[in-house]
Amino acid sequence: MIGVRALTKLYGSFTAVRSISFDVGPGEILGLVGPNGAGKTTTLRCVAGIISPSRGEVTIAGHDTRKDPVSAKRALAFIPDEPHLFEYLTVDEHLRFIARLYGVLDIDARLPPLLAELELSEKRRALPGELSRGMRQKLAIACGLLHDPTALILDEPLTGLDPGGIRRMRETIAARASSGAAVILSSHLLNLVEEMCTKLLVLRRGECVAYGTLSEIISTRPELVNRSLEDVFLELTRDDTVAR
Amino acid sequence: MKTGSVANSYLYLISTSGRNRLLTLLRRARSPRYGAALVVGAVYIWAFLVRPANTTGATTFLLGRTSEMIVTLLAVITLMGSWLFGSDITALAFSQAEVSFLFPAPVTRRSLIVYKLMRAQVAVLVNALIWVFVLRRGGTALPSPLRAVSLWILFSTLNFHRLGAALVRASVRAHGGVGARRTRTSIVAFALVGAALVGGALAHRAELRAASDPTTFLSSLGHVLAQPPAYWGLYPFHLVVAPTFARSVAEWGRLIGPAVAVMLLHAWWVLHTDAAFEDAALEASAERAKRAEAMRSRRSIMATSVPRAPTSTLPLAAHGHPSLAILWKNTLCLRRTAQLRVFVGPVIMAALLGSAFGSGLPTRTKVAMSALVLAGMLIIFGGRLIRNDLRQDMQHLPLLKTLPIAPSHIVLAEVASAAIPMTIVQIVLVAIAFVAFIGGHGAPFGTGTRLALLISSPAALLAINGALVTSQNATAVLFPAWIRLGPAVTTGVETLGQNVLATAANLLSLVVSLVLPAAAGWGILALASSARASALVIAVIVGAIILAAETYAAMSYLGHALARAEPAQT
Repeated sequence: MIGVRALTKLYGSFTAVRSISFDVGPGEILGLVGPNGAGKTTTLRCVAGIISPSRGEVTIAGHDTRKDPVSAKRALAFIPDEPHLFEYLTVDEHLRFIARLYGVLDIDARLPPLLAELELSEKRRALPGELSRGMRQKLAIACGLLHDPTALILDEPLTGLDPGGIRRMRETIAARASSGAAVILSSHLLNLVEEMCTKLLVLRRGECVAYGTLSEIISTRPELVNRSLEDVFLELTRDDTVAR
Repeated sequence: MKTGSVANSYLYLISTSGRNRLLTLLRRARSPRYGAALVVGAVYIWAFLVRPANTTGATTFLLGRTSEMIVTLLAVITLMGSWLFGSDITALAFSQAEVSFLFPAPVTRRSLIVYKLMRAQVAVLVNALIWVFVLRRGGTALPSPLRAVSLWILFSTLNFHRLGAALVRASVRAHGGVGARRTRTSIVAFALVGAALVGGALAHRAELRAASDPTTFLSSLGHVLAQPPAYWGLYPFHLVVAPTFARSVAEWGRLIGPAVAVMLLHAWWVLHTDAAFEDAALEASAERAKRAEAMRSRRSIMATSVPRAPTSTLPLAAHGHPSLAILWKNTLCLRRTAQLRVFVGPVIMAALLGSAFGSGLPTRTKVAMSALVLAGMLIIFGGRLIRNDLRQDMQHLPLLKTLPIAPSHIVLAEVASAAIPMTIVQIVLVAIAFVAFIGGHGAPFGTGTRLALLISSPAALLAINGALVTSQNATAVLFPAWIRLGPAVTTGVETLGQNVLATAANLLSLVVSLVLPAAAGWGILALASSARASALVIAVIVGAIILAAETYAAMSYLGHALARAEPAQT
């Protein structure tokens, strides 16, 4: 569903991401982890088509993001950590706008339950400036999920959500994966990653230092057996770690 | 904290921020696109400002006595806009970082105003420098450094006045009657100035009406403004304007003292009108942050648009071409963020010029002239005032780039969002002029030609607006790091020079793109020497089609550029 081959992103002479490859199939959730500046957001933005890879290939639902970007984007939802909203569109108008762009014809039927699920029903005529940080994040999530994407990319999706919102978001991600969506989840919340993700991609300084299921990763590093994910993460992303 | 160390820390913040910003902008020039733009910009600045030029009639007029009075009047009208329609709250806006660091710091609110004044000096100094070069072409005996000092005093005073008006309005809004009483001296002074101007116009209306042509009208206007009571109202402002128009060093020496005194009086006024400043500034800053969180606010004085709470919406069908959704979104944006007060100046100017062009003619002819002047002014300035296109949406580049629409369609929809409303207003104005000319005197063309222009004007206006808006959007797409993104319209007099440069460059691009359409239109008119009206319609429409084709090619190129644009560049 999501295929990435030898993805490299250069900014001048600086290599933000170096030759990363991975696949996320239907129903899989890939956890993307790494310390600050490891290249996680750059990787996600390349996959979402926000920035162009310097080298390599990205496919979404079989569509090459370079050759057929519109088809690739139609199958995709990218939910960033900082919600990007139009300050002059209400909650309701945001969703109608997205519906038109993605060809969601039954928007009138979909809106009420979606707004109710995200506790935005009473705010449907509010502008983003009148919403709390968490509600803005919920609106961004609603916009992302509205067209039932088959590929879902989430960059720190729980930022700003209250405990109830966090629980619902976890359930939503799991439900989307169960229904066949390929999900990439970037987060510093290692317990969330451990609980939800079917496999991991660990980045350090733009390079992949580990990729696979947690057990596969640990099997290559016997000293990490019976250690917590946090210990595994810290060990893998230590500066003297050599990629294997 | 000692006053000196606070001022030093403000100076440090302003100078290091300015230096770092400049270095960041220059570093961009390493990329070929920005490097080429830097060269083109340098050549443009040289040709427009620095290139040696001879004194001409136009520039002599620019520094004449009539101009002096009219500039004074325009300055006062601009300031009245701040009092009546309020650039108020945003004149006080601080960036989020400034609110976070300066407001909790152990400094007085008065020192925060000092900081605002100091920071505004960057724009004031740049603007003064631009006008030194513009007026240098007047070829007067006044040395450039003295003119620079004059302009600095003029723009600083106008800036102080605008901030003072903002503080008075904030005080009245925050404290109601108490605030009004506290600032009554300022309010009464402003009311007296307005009354003197209105009284002057009424007292000498016969002289203004008697003018038979534009030149006589402007001379009469200058004469009326130089007579009481208008003269009394303009006097303090005239004192500030006068050194800029001095014809000799000796005259400048005589005029500069009172100008400095008026400027210092304004500074004193601002520093003693600080009631409600902190609350108002915080409110302004919060609204700015809410409005455009991604916007990197680099300017202190700008007119901004705060989205109004929606009372109605526009329907959007669930099916149809997706790019129409962009048009729908931007139309809602325009409805909710349009700043009607920025149109007050052009409307007043159009009324004045229309009256001048229609001097000695019936009122309906003056109305027609005013409508045409306003339509023309909207062609020139409309793109600056209506910004519901990529100049706003480049702030949302990450979102735009995830949308399933071809980038060239995004550009087309964005340009149409700004060009269509401008065109509609202009068509209405042209229609008003057409109707007003019927049965009147002084129409510039015969009925057949006027009808031909009326018929062909929608196509021509749409093509011209599209070309101008495309060129403005091109700067947002190609050089997002160098231009100001967001809904804000800069209206302060202290940014007038920069705006003049930008507008002239925009019009220059239009002139270049009009070469081919004009040649084609001229060819059609030359071939069809008879039936001129119908030939004119065809010529204008063919020209409009060619211009639209050129614009579409530019949009396609911009679509490629948008596809390659990355958020890190904005």
